[in-house]
Amino acid sequence: MSSLLDPEFLRRLARVRLLVRRRFAGSAGGARRSTRKGQSVEMADHRPYSPGDDVRRIDWNAYARLEELILRLYVAEEDLVVYLLLDTSASMGFGDPPKLDVAKRLAAALAYVGLSGSERVGVVPFGAGIGTPMQPTRGRRRIGTVLKHLDALEARGETDLQRAVDELIARRTRPGLVLVLSDLLDPGGYQRSLDRLIAERHEPVIFHVLDREELDPTPGGDFNFVDSERGARVEVSLDQRTVDAYRRRVQLFLEGAEAYAKKRGLSYVRAGADVSIEDALLAYSRAA
Amino acid sequence: MTWLSPWSLLWLGLTVPLVLLYVLKRRRVDRVIGSTLLWEAALRDLRAERPWKRLIPTVALLLQLLAIVLGALALARPAGAGGVPTGATIALVVDVSTSMDARSGEGDDSRLERAVSVGRELARALPPGGRMMVIAAGAEATLLAPPTADGATLSRALDALAASGTATDLEGAVALAAERLRSAPSGSRILLLTDGAEDGEVSLDTRGVPVEVQLVGPEAPAEGAAPTDNVGIVEADARARVGEGPDRADLFARIRNFAREPADVFLTATLEGRDGVLASRRLTLEADASVPVVMAVDLPPDASGRAAVVRLALSRSDAAHEGMQDDLALDDVAVVPSPGARRLPVFLVGAAPAPVERVLRADTNVELFATTLQALSERDDDAPPLDGLFVYAGEVPDRAPPGDSVVVAPRGERAFEAELGAEVEAPRVIAWEESDPRLRFVTMGDVHLARLRPIGGSAARALVTTDAGAAIASITRPDGETTILGFDPSTSDWPRQPTFVVFFRNLLERARERRASGGVAAGGLGDALRIAAPDGASVEVITPSGERLDATSRGGLAIVPVRAEAGVFRATVDLPSGPRELHALRSLLDANESDVRARLRFSRAGEDVGAAPAAPREHRESWPWLAALVLLLFAIEAWWASRKGAVA
Repeated sequence: MSSLLDPEFLRRLARVRLLVRRRFAGSAGGARRSTRKGQSVEMADHRPYSPGDDVRRIDWNAYARLEELILRLYVAEEDLVVYLLLDTSASMGFGDPPKLDVAKRLAAALAYVGLSGSERVGVVPFGAGIGTPMQPTRGRRRIGTVLKHLDALEARGETDLQRAVDELIARRTRPGLVLVLSDLLDPGGYQRSLDRLIAERHEPVIFHVLDREELDPTPGGDFNFVDSERGARVEVSLDQRTVDAYRRRVQLFLEGAEAYAKKRGLSYVRAGADVSIEDALLAYSRAA
Repeated sequence: MTWLSPWSLLWLGLTVPLVLLYVLKRRRVDRVIGSTLLWEAALRDLRAERPWKRLIPTVALLLQLLAIVLGALALARPAGAGGVPTGATIALVVDVSTSMDARSGEGDDSRLERAVSVGRELARALPPGGRMMVIAAGAEATLLAPPTADGATLSRALDALAASGTATDLEGAVALAAERLRSAPSGSRILLLTDGAEDGEVSLDTRGVPVEVQLVGPEAPAEGAAPTDNVGIVEADARARVGEGPDRADLFARIRNFAREPADVFLTATLEGRDGVLASRRLTLEADASVPVVMAVDLPPDASGRAAVVRLALSRSDAAHEGMQDDLALDDVAVVPSPGARRLPVFLVGAAPAPVERVLRADTNVELFATTLQALSERDDDAPPLDGLFVYAGEVPDRAPPGDSVVVAPRGERAFEAELGAEVEAPRVIAWEESDPRLRFVTMGDVHLARLRPIGGSAARALVTTDAGAAIASITRPDGETTILGFDPSTSDWPRQPTFVVFFRNLLERARERRASGGVAAGGLGDALRIAAPDGASVEVITPSGERLDATSRGGLAIVPVRAEAGVFRATVDLPSGPRELHALRSLLDANESDVRARLRFSRAGEDVGAAPAAPREHRESWPWLAALVLLLFAIEAWWASRKGAVA
């Protein structure tokens, strides 16, 4: 078992279930409602009968009233594809603990939960583009593969979520739950990328991974801050006014991300900093 | 407060590079962080708020700025008012009029002593490069010390300050100081120390040089200042009573009370050098009022027949020696020559022409003694010197006697320092010196001489000139003058003309005045005695208070500095022919100087200039405290830096 998951943590994960706000069409029967009408016991809709339809699904009560053949449609229960879109850019390598570690641990937990729920779970690391992905897989026993894949990931390169999303969509992936684990510090922004996912019938969930020093830097000192991804240099004197200005800017950034998620009906969960992985997962599950 | 070294404030300019160092040259540590996106946004926000946001007011910056400011202030040498800025020159102008000798009470410093104290404090407080000059404002402005930083020179100049005279040329003294400071460094100024005890207004024309007026009198406009308490003799004279004999005289005096309270005083008249009181009068003086006094006295001549000097003294009681104990002692005593001093002994040596003897006898104030050269040469050495006018007819001694003398129709080739030419017949008068006192109201155009021995020689100055040469000439010496007539008046028509009498009366009056004044040139209180004496002759002076002063004659004049003191200064000139006694009478007799109340107004460019009370100020500078603060700040800064390093 990888260090990303310990037994006690796994026990607590039993209470967590992946939250899906939309319905997706699966390729095999699963625990999830599908956008396709199927053979489950839960009726979804009616439609006029067409020759060739299964006559067993004709709603005779409706015919008695309407004198028209109406077919009952049932919700199909299919498996869900979960994409762990994991930010592995260089900025994720900073923090105490590094944000990438937090993100990997969170991704492992989410993969475990997903596999335990008969979902198909794939790992899509991204930086300037998509790295080496792990194709969606099913079954709890596959957790080892997922963890091994996660363990191999390292923080490097720039962040380009847009490009990563474009590549993901270009692979003609099945619409599914896209769990975005990132610090969202993308010079190109994250909104358009997530909008694109939504447009392609994916359901993004934002796991905003943060570091405490990033949220609340300690005043004092004069520095040349060097951007780990772009190499940009910024002269900063950490006097109180500058720190206050930075905090205001961070607050705006967090509030902006939260407001965006709310506006799009997405789940938004903060992780790292003072929010433990368990708390983040519980917050995610409570959102259901 | 003044800055003794204002240029040092330029050190404040160090704050600019310090701030620039903080703004532009701060040493920063490279630190790689995940992303600078949010920092860039935050800095944009800050720049939008304040364009000069790059200056970060850290504790270290503030401490260093404070250290620079305090250091610059310390170098600028802040000091109490009256300090001298570095490199500046102070012109100390001290009023040395007689009123500066006033003192508020027994044992108190006089005004002049207070002024000297102020000057000494200033001299002691001179900064590096600072200079000071001392000017005495008396009847004339006298530069006692040129601009110098030498304490000994300044001390000597301050010691030389002495109240003297009755006139003060404050304007001239300030103008002299302004002239000397015209190219002086910035911060130079004139400090005028005066008691302002003078009527009128003084215009301080300093041509842009700052001037400060400080009053050293008690009437300086300060609360609780002691009122003036002075009663003085402002006029005095002695005149013979006509028709009551030569020894009977009237003493005239005017006593003035300058105090705010009435005064009850005694005026006592005595003869100088003799015991006994001639007359005494009790006077009640109203506040700020004067009373005239006339006292009839007998002034008997002394055994030598020399002129007596009358001494008038004021006192609070009828005991003259107790004095007045008021602010100004100099006007409590006055000395005047007695009427008897007008009587002039004339020693007629030889057979004088009848017109000459006749005109001498015609003067009632002449005591004529006929003698010969032989008789004079046979006098005992210890006999009192003959003090009067010598008139030589024919025979002339080799050396001129002390004092004044007249030579009529001399024989021989020389008459003292003059040379005599061969006799000429009927010379015609062509010119005469109308400006000479002896020829006052005298015209010689109608005088016809029968014979003349023209007078020549470099020492002889022609008074009356004929076409043959000088008919009347004058020889001037430090201790007197000789008038030489190169002809016998009885052989001319001059005795029949009024101008002959006028000429001899002028001669006698001139000799009388010189003798009555004691033989020493007149002067004010405190003025140096200028005693005529041959070169190298030693002169001893006894002051009214009994002090003995010695001097040696240079260039025919012995100059003896004396303190301002009313009374008779007795001088003895040591001559080869024997000692010669002279005296000088010094009295204030000046209502303007006796009024020691401050009333003088000062103006500059038509505007009044304020005068502040003067007081010796202790030299106090603040720079040591500021320097200590700088050190403390450096210590705090070092502590702060180490603390900051520990945190980092």
